[in-house]
Amino acid sequence: MISPSSATLRAAEDLALVVGGEFVSPDADGAIAVLPENTQQISVIFRYATKNGLTVDPRGGGTKQRWGSGAVPDVRLRLTRLDRVLDHPWQDLTCTVQAGCTWASLQQNLAKHGQFVALDPLFSDRATVGGIIATNDSGSLRQRYGSLRDLVIGMTLVLPDGTIARTGGRVVKNVAGYDLSKLMTGSMGTLAVITEANFRLHALPQYSRTFTVTASDAIRLAPLLAAVRGSHLLVQSLQLRRNKTEAHLDICLISHTAAQQDALLAGMARDKGLALQEASAAPCFKRETLLIDGSTFIRVSTLPTNTCAFADELQRVAPRIDIASISQGIGLHDVSLRGPGGEITDAINQIRSKYSTTVTVLQPGPAVDATAFTIPAAVMSVMRAIKHNFDPGGILGPGKFFASA
Amino acid sequence: MATPLTQAVLSELRRIVGERGLITAANQLQTYECDGLTAFRVPPIAVLLPESTEQVQKILRVCHRERIPFVARGSGTGLSGGALPTEGSVVLSLSRMNRILNIDIPNQQITVQPGVINSNVTAAVAPQGYFYAPDPSSQTVCSIGGNVAENAGGAHCLKYGFTVTHVLEMTVVLPDGEIVTLGSKLPNTPGYDLAGVFIGSEGTLGVATEMTLRIMRKPETVQVILAAFDTISSAAQSVSDVIASGQLPAAMEIMDRLSIEAAELSVHPNYPACEALLLIELDGPQAEVDIQMSVVIDICKKNGAWETRLAVDENARFLVWKGRKAAFAAAGRLSPNYIVQDGVIPRTALPVVLEKLNAMAAAENLRVTNVFHAGDGNLHPIVLYDRNHHGEEERAIDLSLRILDVCVEAGGSITGEHGVGREKQCSMSYMFADPDLETMQRVRRAFDPFNLSNPEKLFPTPRLCGERSRGAYAPHPVEASGIAEVF
Repeated sequence: MISPSSATLRAAEDLALVVGGEFVSPDADGAIAVLPENTQQISVIFRYATKNGLTVDPRGGGTKQRWGSGAVPDVRLRLTRLDRVLDHPWQDLTCTVQAGCTWASLQQNLAKHGQFVALDPLFSDRATVGGIIATNDSGSLRQRYGSLRDLVIGMTLVLPDGTIARTGGRVVKNVAGYDLSKLMTGSMGTLAVITEANFRLHALPQYSRTFTVTASDAIRLAPLLAAVRGSHLLVQSLQLRRNKTEAHLDICLISHTAAQQDALLAGMARDKGLALQEASAAPCFKRETLLIDGSTFIRVSTLPTNTCAFADELQRVAPRIDIASISQGIGLHDVSLRGPGGEITDAINQIRSKYSTTVTVLQPGPAVDATAFTIPAAVMSVMRAIKHNFDPGGILGPGKFFASA
Repeated sequence: MATPLTQAVLSELRRIVGERGLITAANQLQTYECDGLTAFRVPPIAVLLPESTEQVQKILRVCHRERIPFVARGSGTGLSGGALPTEGSVVLSLSRMNRILNIDIPNQQITVQPGVINSNVTAAVAPQGYFYAPDPSSQTVCSIGGNVAENAGGAHCLKYGFTVTHVLEMTVVLPDGEIVTLGSKLPNTPGYDLAGVFIGSEGTLGVATEMTLRIMRKPETVQVILAAFDTISSAAQSVSDVIASGQLPAAMEIMDRLSIEAAELSVHPNYPACEALLLIELDGPQAEVDIQMSVVIDICKKNGAWETRLAVDENARFLVWKGRKAAFAAAGRLSPNYIVQDGVIPRTALPVVLEKLNAMAAAENLRVTNVFHAGDGNLHPIVLYDRNHHGEEERAIDLSLRILDVCVEAGGSITGEHGVGREKQCSMSYMFADPDLETMQRVRRAFDPFNLSNPEKLFPTPRLCGERSRGAYAPHPVEASGIAEVF
């Protein structure tokens, strides 16, 4: 337990006047946890922090708090009290939800009308809307429905100077002004705090069947993966799981039973000398197993055609460490590495230098020393200019993206 | 206000693009004085026709050093004045950068230059069974660069999304001449989603000179149903019921009686004569589409459709879509002048909003015809008027902008796909509060601190909006010459 500095203790007293004493408390790392009730209170807290030079880091469910390797802030803004689904005009296929609402709770609400936000992020029972957007998480549904940038249609934001701004709207088609929702998605909470989000929704699929094909190497599954990608099958998810000993290709079809696409798929597998087995979707598409305590979690992008070859390569990069990967057919790989920190660092550096990939180290394990993001200098300078215009004092999301911010 | 270029700057620009890449003769500059929003005309001080990213970079470096504003232009088909020159600006016409650079079918990507025409992208990959999804009505003449600037949509974005969903990576020259790669051919790009904010920024953040687009597998089958209704409300109810049934059609369009008549006069699609025509397109695997189509037909009949006509073969579908896509141009058959608007409302507000629009039109004694992308609530009311009748143009402009106000009041937007440009920049303050617009300006200033890239667009300015000078629609030269009737 680190005790807060005298400055943060004074801040705790002052902020208690804004949100109420019971909603301010010290965290174990020395930060002051503040739990605002609404957007207006967040604006007041920000104006206070800016005036007093206090750093602020937003937090939802805390499931990805370490992503992006930020520093400990003076004030940890916990959004868990903003947890309501504000509106669900289901006939318009949209919804408005507060940022602190957990993903599971949002989906339960939407399911009452047979709808959902077509995204399966990690830890959906605890992760919140705001945190999922800020980290731009996505899972196996990305194959069919795209990522958050295709699903978020509007937001309410609070900027570090206390400005409350709305962007986008509540209609799915809208090109009025800059789409700041896209800028916020994946910005790791470094530009503004998201307090509300509007989503476009999809109908829950009426039919769904999941099949798995198993092989000793991923490369043996590559012809089938390519064939499925180029086919007319209604594929919801197309995912490759790889560990030390074997590889599985999971395919979730959502066509009407009468379309008999399962038979088509079985035929395609047979043509490639592979056997299809019906599987239960839930365990196949669960990625949480990659984030066991102490593991290093990285996300790698490759071209879709390199999905299988890269998953095999991962196993050869560092034979002494334990590597497991879950890859989407589009070429997005979630990878867990377990072993000595030095060897994991080497492995990450090798992946970065040897293959045409982008690697993001989302959660480094103990003694792992690797840059979280590698961003080209020209892009970095635009990012820095945006950061400066949104957060000139550098109070938000300390340490993330900008080492010196 | 327009300061002519000095001889020194002019010869520097000439050295960059060559003699045939520079236009300064007044009669030739006229071609570039407006886009599809013809009521506004400003001749540029020069037009440059670069042929490479490097040339664009050199031009922008000169512009940056000399503080010369610039406006990038594709085919000039935009309907909101996005490519309208600003006083004292040079125009960068990207029409010579029209090469397809790479096609990668296994990765479902194509890399093109900005001057490539939208429908040529699909044409390039159609033999392999793929297509490029965004399909604005002007797709046979509009350029990909312009589509990126405006985040173009089209009838099929209900299912497939907008341009932003389909652009993977772009080479962009920033207003200071720096070249950056935004987005990635790989699925994730670390850092801020700069590509996401650049697409749809209407040319105000820089110039895109190369883009890699996602292409999609052509559906196994496509079917279109035409359903004839006695009221717009019953057609609209059918749209809501289709959505409620869990289907996601590729497109759902409604045309009213006037626009049906106009389409008949111009391209003879042989639509049923009715008060409201609902057009629903389903695509996907054959067996799946067959099942969905029977559900859709049942819904239409339940809501009072007295004729349902299925267009299955390619020719029949082509004719159906030709009629719909000709709707704007065909308005010229109904009236000497017209204004096309582009409001968006929550789908369910359609009957209420329509009633309001009709009352407003009647009060002004003006005719308004409507075509909608009904699936996503995007209205295209077309206000018909005659410029030669004293005061009618002003009333028509005023009505078209008040229609946008109604859309905003219903919880919608002032533009679904045409962009804000010059036409609607004063309506922006009706949709957004000052802090919202100020936040957008922070992004603008990060990319373009000297306000050189397509200035005086998109954002309301006191100079322009104090006068409430908003634009009217007049036939675009390509429409007047008859070319537009093909789209």
